[in-house]
Amino acid sequence: MTVAPAQQQGGGTGNLYDVLELVLDRGLVIDAFVRVSLVGIEILKIDVRVVVASVDTYLKFAEACNRLDLESGRNKSPGLPDVVGQVTESGAQGKTKGALSGAAQTVSDAFQQARDESQEGGTRRRTTTRKKEERE
Amino acid sequence: MSTYVYGITRSPAPHLREGLTGVGDPPRPVRILQRDGLVALVSDAPEDLRPKRRELLAHQQVLAEVNAERVVLPMRFGSLSEDDGTVGEVLVERAEHFLERLDTLEGKVEYNIKASHDQEAVLHVVMAQQPELRAESEANRAAGGGSYEQKLALGEKVARAVQAREPVDAALLRHAVEPLAAEVSEGPQSAGWLTNLSVLVDREAADELLSAVEELGNSAPQLDLKVNGPLPPYSFVEKTDASADATAGVRAAPAAG
Repeated sequence: MTVAPAQQQGGGTGNLYDVLELVLDRGLVIDAFVRVSLVGIEILKIDVRVVVASVDTYLKFAEACNRLDLESGRNKSPGLPDVVGQVTESGAQGKTKGALSGAAQTVSDAFQQARDESQEGGTRRRTTTRKKEERE
Repeated sequence: MSTYVYGITRSPAPHLREGLTGVGDPPRPVRILQRDGLVALVSDAPEDLRPKRRELLAHQQVLAEVNAERVVLPMRFGSLSEDDGTVGEVLVERAEHFLERLDTLEGKVEYNIKASHDQEAVLHVVMAQQPELRAESEANRAAGGGSYEQKLALGEKVARAVQAREPVDAALLRHAVEPLAAEVSEGPQSAGWLTNLSVLVDREAADELLSAVEELGNSAPQLDLKVNGPLPPYSFVEKTDASADATAGVRAAPAAG
């Protein structure tokens, strides 16, 4: 969970990408004014569902499940039913944090690759176009 | 020389920071045009303005500074007028409309909230809700990951389960913030978010909103929530009806190229 109130002053660019589509798609449009061409910007609206339904995605999800530490999940989700008795105690407990973060990374790819990672600084990868804009 | 328009607010003119600049390279100084109780924030328009990073930032930054003090109707990025005179005419012709919008939005700001799934946490959620998925996953794991077909079958089911979870979690967010908002607006769906929600709140209610979002983040760990604000009310200004008044003689450019 990240609450990142925008810094109104100070010119921080950290939040720019999170409000980019507002600046581009929202706001007042007056027909007496002309708008500059926004060629190349529309790619921001890629439908992520296209990405989700692919064999690669399925395999990544399966891999992530394979590495998922269901025991630790019990703390996170109190409602987790204890349906399947013998959770591979050895397996689950044996998984290291390293394995988990590996899994998280895998799913992170399987999910929306465009996910904003502003906290990591310059590692955003929303779209190629976005990267291009970023350089300019 | 055409004129770039950032936003419209009410007279008296806001006090602009010394040296406040907007779009362009070099950045053009921001000026104020006043007509009939309204103020347009403008600058000279650079030749060949493109939607580059620094230009978008400049646009947002000018508006953010004014929005910190008072309500402002933010223009969409890239609004150009023939000249200052035309901007003035628009202010006069549509004064009633702008003043109505400013009244409606008075004392309010926009917060934009984007939610995505925390991958590990959402897998826990779907496994908890669908014991058969969990069983299948564990069976695969016990079999050293399972065969290609088994992986594919499991992965597809899990992907669908996670996807089915998206509207549920989007609704969670909406329900959490709706009671605090004067208005809620679904933002454009772009890659990477399961929901993109803009809410209009009283400036004073901002803390309450942030608390509500934080609470939700705690109670629903599968949600990654990013809040941005306070912002000018981008999502809550009304678009003028393109057919309403074409007397200015300038065609509206299509928004998308």
